[in-house]
Amino acid sequence: MAAHDEYHYTIDHAPAYASLILNLKPNQTVVVEASAMAAMDSCIQMDTKVRGGAMQGLKRMLGGESLFMNEFTAQGQGGQLYVSPGVPGDIQHYRLGGSQDSLMVQSSGFVAASPTVNVDSQFQGLKGFFSGESLFLLRLTGAGSVWFSSYGGIVEIPVEGSYVVDTGYIVAFEESLSYHVEMLGGLSWRGIRTGLLGGDGLVCRFQGRGRLWIQSRNLYNLVNFLRPMQTSSSS
Amino acid sequence: MEIELLHQPDSAIAKIHLAPGEELIAQAGAMVAMSSHINPSTSLHRGKGGSLMGAVGRMLAGQSLFLSVFRTAIPAEIFLAPKLMGDLLICDLANSNLVVQSGSYLASASTVNLDLGFQGLKSVFSGEGLFWLDLSGIGSVLLTSFGGIYTIPVNGEYIVDTGHIVAFEKSLSFTIDKAGDSWLGSFLGGEGFVCRFQGQGKVYCQTHNNYALRRQVGSKLSTR
Repeated sequence: MAAHDEYHYTIDHAPAYASLILNLKPNQTVVVEASAMAAMDSCIQMDTKVRGGAMQGLKRMLGGESLFMNEFTAQGQGGQLYVSPGVPGDIQHYRLGGSQDSLMVQSSGFVAASPTVNVDSQFQGLKGFFSGESLFLLRLTGAGSVWFSSYGGIVEIPVEGSYVVDTGYIVAFEESLSYHVEMLGGLSWRGIRTGLLGGDGLVCRFQGRGRLWIQSRNLYNLVNFLRPMQTSSSS
Repeated sequence: MEIELLHQPDSAIAKIHLAPGEELIAQAGAMVAMSSHINPSTSLHRGKGGSLMGAVGRMLAGQSLFLSVFRTAIPAEIFLAPKLMGDLLICDLANSNLVVQSGSYLASASTVNLDLGFQGLKSVFSGEGLFWLDLSGIGSVLLTSFGGIYTIPVNGEYIVDTGHIVAFEKSLSFTIDKAGDSWLGSFLGGEGFVCRFQGQGKVYCQTHNNYALRRQVGSKLSTR
């Protein structure tokens, strides 16, 4: 239990099947990504909201996320809440200190947060276009706790200077780091996107000082591995 | 070269510390993250010898590997991960050669010699792009498994389903055989081909067969 945090929580079954267990205090509220609640005490009340207003909700939808988020409040007494992300992997806790603090999280990685945290969808434009990954990052600001998830295990990297990460493996990073996506020719054969046969060479170069979280697996590799067996409508 | 394995046994990822001048060879696409001053280059590593047509034939037959080489002038670190869920194993080659299933090879020190086109286990039916690498020399080798990885120290004779072999020491002799007494029985029973190992040496096995998963799951995916 992280007793020093405003929330009493544990993360069980990490790093492959991580599940967030929150022990909400009486009348404490937590915001959870739609459909992530697995089980809860009956005293916990769920309220579905379009967090941040209609515009934010719509932006999230464009990013493939749900229009809605759920607010869970323990009514009158404490209650337990089990939260599991859709994709099995790891969960990481982060504390935002307010003022200048800002955390960027891949849009499918948001699990839960205090109601005092602002979740803002950021369209990355062409930055992520060729990677086939989500074009959206979530920008989290405010003060409070955040939990984000991954496919595979999460590894924290303290960056001091410069670091290169394959775009498919970025989970989250502190906004103190500047970043840009580039094609690292040396990672793909003759600069061609070898895709299935190799890497696609698209990397994100982070610069500055800050923490970065990567995941140890990429869901697209599983999809591409299973794909050859998929029947096509012509057969 | 120092290799640290994290998040075993299901989501294993390797963190490798490279000293100046050291070179790391890896399957292209294995790089997850690395110090920015590492210099990568990727090439197509073909099966041994023969004409250009032979090389093309091998590439079409799936017996080629895109390999990346990572070099650094100052101490650096690099994270490598396999494509599917599973574990990683470090093998330190010294005297014996190691025969590795192509999909189970992740990386090795440049002091290890990588030879494609190991024909010993060649079988028309082993299909599915499975081919074998012959590793020799001295240095560390990183193997991946689909599922868990376990070692069988063979002393005498042992039978392993070919889809479950990650790697084995070349000191072992082997034959491809049917699992049961009849070929029909072996195919009906789903076992197909097995590898009979003889002699002394280690066989590294994976608990699960990724091609079996692909056959079962992939066919149930909705039509395109």
